Amino acid sequence: MKKLILACLILLSQLALAQTEVKREVIGRDVGQLNGIKISARVIDEITGEALVGATVSLPETDEVFVSDNNGTFELVLERAEYNLVFRYVGYEEVQYPITAVGDGRILVKMIQEDFQLEDVVIFGRDPDKNIRSTDMGAVTLSMNTLKELPPFLGEVDIIQSMATLPGVTQVGEASAGLNVRGGGADQNLIQFAGAPVYNPTHLFGLFTSFNPDFVNQVTLYKSVIPARFGGRGSSILDITPKAGSVDKWGGDLMLSNYSGKLSLNGPLVKNKVSVRGGIRGSYINWFLNSLSNPDLKNSQASFYDANLIISAPVSDNNEFTYSFYTSYDDFGFASDTTISWRNTSHSLQWKSQLTPKINLEALGYYSQYDYSIFNEAGSTNDFDLNSGVKDIGGKLFLQYAFSETNRITIGGDYKQVEIQPGELIPTSGPESGILPQKVQDEFGTEAGVHFQHEFELGEKVGVSYGLRYDTYQYLGPRTVREYAPNQPITDGSAIGETTYGDGDQITTYDGLGPRASLRYSFNKSTSVKLGYNKMYQFIHLISNTATIAPTDVWKLSDTFIEPQIVDQYSLGFYKNFKGNIFETSVEVYYKDQENVVEYKDGANLILQNHIETELVPAQGQAYGVELYVKKNLGRLTGWVSYTYSRSLRRVITPYEEEIINDGEWFASNFDKPHVLTLIGNYKVSTNTSISATFGYSTGRPVTFPEAKFDFSGNNLAYFNLRNEERIPDFHRLDMSVNFKLKGNGRFFDGDWTFAILNVYGRKNPFSLFFVDEAGAPPQALRLAILGVPLPSLSYALKF
Amino acid sequence: MKKYLSILLVALMGCIDPFEVEVPEGPQYLTVEGYITNLPKAHEVRITRGDTYGSVFEGLVRPVREATVVIRDDQGNVTFLQEDLDNRGSYFTPPNYQAVVGRSYTLQIQLIDGRVYTSLPERVGAPTEIQNVSYQSVEIPVEGEVNPDSGVQLLVDIDDPADENNFYFWRNSDATYVLLTRPDLFVTPPPERRPAPKDCCFICWRNEPAPGNQSIFIANDDNFNGLSTQLPAAFIPDNGLRFADTYRIDFSQISISQEAFRFLRLVKQQSEISGSVFDPPPARITGNMISLDDPDEIVLGYFMAGGETTERVYIKKSELDFVQPEARITDDCRVVEGAMDNPPLDWNP
Repeated sequence: MKKLILACLILLSQLALAQTEVKREVIGRDVGQLNGIKISARVIDEITGEALVGATVSLPETDEVFVSDNNGTFELVLERAEYNLVFRYVGYEEVQYPITAVGDGRILVKMIQEDFQLEDVVIFGRDPDKNIRSTDMGAVTLSMNTLKELPPFLGEVDIIQSMATLPGVTQVGEASAGLNVRGGGADQNLIQFAGAPVYNPTHLFGLFTSFNPDFVNQVTLYKSVIPARFGGRGSSILDITPKAGSVDKWGGDLMLSNYSGKLSLNGPLVKNKVSVRGGIRGSYINWFLNSLSNPDLKNSQASFYDANLIISAPVSDNNEFTYSFYTSYDDFGFASDTTISWRNTSHSLQWKSQLTPKINLEALGYYSQYDYSIFNEAGSTNDFDLNSGVKDIGGKLFLQYAFSETNRITIGGDYKQVEIQPGELIPTSGPESGILPQKVQDEFGTEAGVHFQHEFELGEKVGVSYGLRYDTYQYLGPRTVREYAPNQPITDGSAIGETTYGDGDQITTYDGLGPRASLRYSFNKSTSVKLGYNKMYQFIHLISNTATIAPTDVWKLSDTFIEPQIVDQYSLGFYKNFKGNIFETSVEVYYKDQENVVEYKDGANLILQNHIETELVPAQGQAYGVELYVKKNLGRLTGWVSYTYSRSLRRVITPYEEEIINDGEWFASNFDKPHVLTLIGNYKVSTNTSISATFGYSTGRPVTFPEAKFDFSGNNLAYFNLRNEERIPDFHRLDMSVNFKLKGNGRFFDGDWTFAILNVYGRKNPFSLFFVDEAGAPPQALRLAILGVPLPSLSYALKF
Repeated sequence: MKKYLSILLVALMGCIDPFEVEVPEGPQYLTVEGYITNLPKAHEVRITRGDTYGSVFEGLVRPVREATVVIRDDQGNVTFLQEDLDNRGSYFTPPNYQAVVGRSYTLQIQLIDGRVYTSLPERVGAPTEIQNVSYQSVEIPVEGEVNPDSGVQLLVDIDDPADENNFYFWRNSDATYVLLTRPDLFVTPPPERRPAPKDCCFICWRNEPAPGNQSIFIANDDNFNGLSTQLPAAFIPDNGLRFADTYRIDFSQISISQEAFRFLRLVKQQSEISGSVFDPPPARITGNMISLDDPDEIVLGYFMAGGETTERVYIKKSELDFVQPEARITDDCRVVEGAMDNPPLDWNP
């Protein structure tokens, strides 16, 4: 196989070399005309076919420059001669177009966006020294084109898996939905699509991300100093902006892989005024399950889909409305009788307006819902549905005033209502059911925030950004709240009474001031140092005792017993670029303090738990680390190396002995991985072929080993004492992919073939270790590996 | 459900395989397993010492001998337990000892080295009547095998009392079954291997101790408080012998305390860990025993006191939808351990 790929690559690279000799196009019919030759040139975007208005063409021979009109057209009047036309357009690759003008004629020039440029891929946006100049710390913006250069996961770009290749960002394991950013829990990230929060952005328990990359414009991760306009989560913001359709002409994307397929269309609803982009993606993994011999699996089924609709209306030069709809659905049925399903749905409407050249306004309204269910349909009297969900409705307003290019203030506010349905058990076998309907009380809360931020530069050397956010939170009725005896641990046994609150009554309230500040000092154009601090409040907690986001999780609002999470982060970074920004390097260190994170009592019962405070103990968190990063932005070989040393620790402080965990000392959190190394490379073999590889290494995550064994009721049992004292073996994995871009001559059939192998050398990276005691065998440790073998995928993507 | 999740994820991409880990040598903790109920009988308290987990020697859980074991109730009555000299580490109450519903009991142990341990008080809850017992065969598909595993599940119907929070625990006692063998196919042992048919005996009644390594059957009434409901109370694996004709089992239903339920739930949770990504993290299983000499000493296990109801059920092959192919023993059935050629006196299927 390797030889075959190599042979293909060599062949293709030679083809590419052959194409590099200069060809001069002869324009016009030669009737001996010497001057006044009229040549009409039109420039369009190679991918979308849109006319490029305001592009320039320069004629070095005559020292003239022309600008394209509203149709992207130039009308040139030339003498009979050879010309080396150079077409330029901001953000696009320059096109050299040598011609010999002999008579009237037309030429069509297709320009490619810089990110698509194949010889010199620019990773991370178009502003080469932005990392040095900007005052933002720890903000990483990835355009979709950048993400597409990474090895695809199961045939497609995967936003969340890609984020986990950045320094300071990790995942618990190969089947985990959440991200852990700088030692924070999976619930401490606000993942928002088109401004609306998404609670479980995964398919197949985390193996896929549920955002269709065709609908994503860009992805920004804020992991250090989070701008004041964001709040409500402690560790990071992952802001995903939707991609509008073309206002000019219809087109679409089609992709087929051996796991899933998708189709989307985009184009003008009203030409040049309203565009639409809509599409759906779904899996066909069922055939795979059905082909297995295991009787349980044969009858299992897994399916998922996601769908998007984006309507964008640039009603004037200064006003744009964007509506975005997003839904994802997963359904996982077991041969037995149990089905698990989850669904995200969001709607958002955004208005962006440039009120004056100095004032920009953004207003956004959203509705977001996450539902998850477990159905049991054994056909007995014990059938049930267990439904849970989270619903957010909110709005944001954001105003920016620019005194100058380098001096801006922003102010704004946001408000949202959150409603959580922690679980409702509905018997489904009719009147003779042996199960009682049961419902955990719904929760209601509101969050509001106002914010202010000022960014400015003091000369070339100093940049300052400071801001303040004030968050206020209310926990509302209707609800019945228990009271517990003072000076006793909170347990069912210490409950002494109840208070009932009516609809809309305020049960408890929290508020807090969250300052943000960062300071940048540039030694020169390629070297800077930055300092940052921020404080975040978070009023929602993910209560889960599994390592992944699972349908058995409980989202919980802060209440009288569980206080808001408060995260303080201090960071310091040193940035230097080399060789005219070809190489970017950085060293960042951070320290993070987390208050009111939750730990679980041993054997906590979280499902259908009306008094979840009895199962939890409040804990402190602490995280610190140093992140080293070297990136090569330009050239045939691009990519980055990052190494992070970090710790994420927990400590439980309680006066009650029965609640103490690990003797009240600091212990490793579930996602503490001290050493993380990532190598990413993308090599352009030729203009249409690239190879990419990702290698990741990390210390194994903490695990609890048994201290002793004992017998009870015929079972050989393990006695676990100290939590997370040992570690599973280290994780390392290599993924590789080859991508061929087929550029058809016509507008149709420009396609990408991508062949990828995950886990090239088939390492059985343990997701977990567990201990079993089977009769007749010594007790032993077993490991669960998710991707135990190399996993190939082949996909074909087509733009039309 | 968890089991299926793990099977699926494993078959989808992953795999489970043994893994060498070095577990540091751990202490040998004192472990107590004791039950007393309101029924008059000799109740057992078993005291053992655990060992390092992962020790390759089976059976290194050793009995603790010659301890002084007493049960004390909340009215000051003290009962001494006697160690069974044939089964060291097991201590029994007098044969007609019965706990009283509503009273609280504590277990006290003094080891020969003088260290003293006690349980926290356990209150005896009222027993709940078993309205009906039924059974059914259950097949469990096994990956890579054509024939599924199977067994018999016992189901009890109860009327849960509405006025209190109830916690149930079901335990199996001894079982007796009709053992069918083929002495007519007897072959002399190697090296001869000569057919030597015997005339007797084809049918025996074999007594076996409670079928081992069982899962824990417990329930709380959060889902069915005050309702009539049917709950699984036992599962007896089919080994090809037990259900060849008739199988009789005695089992009891014990009303336990909330704390005992919590302990058993942790035991059950651990015994059902399957290695799926949805497994809960390992939990520390702490019971209700403490050391009076050293409050920091870890003592494992639980002393339970509860209200008991017993039931006897005869499981007939003709009533089962599925049984394993008969395991054929080609000898006189009386040579099998625990087998007799006459039915027990109270055999009454």
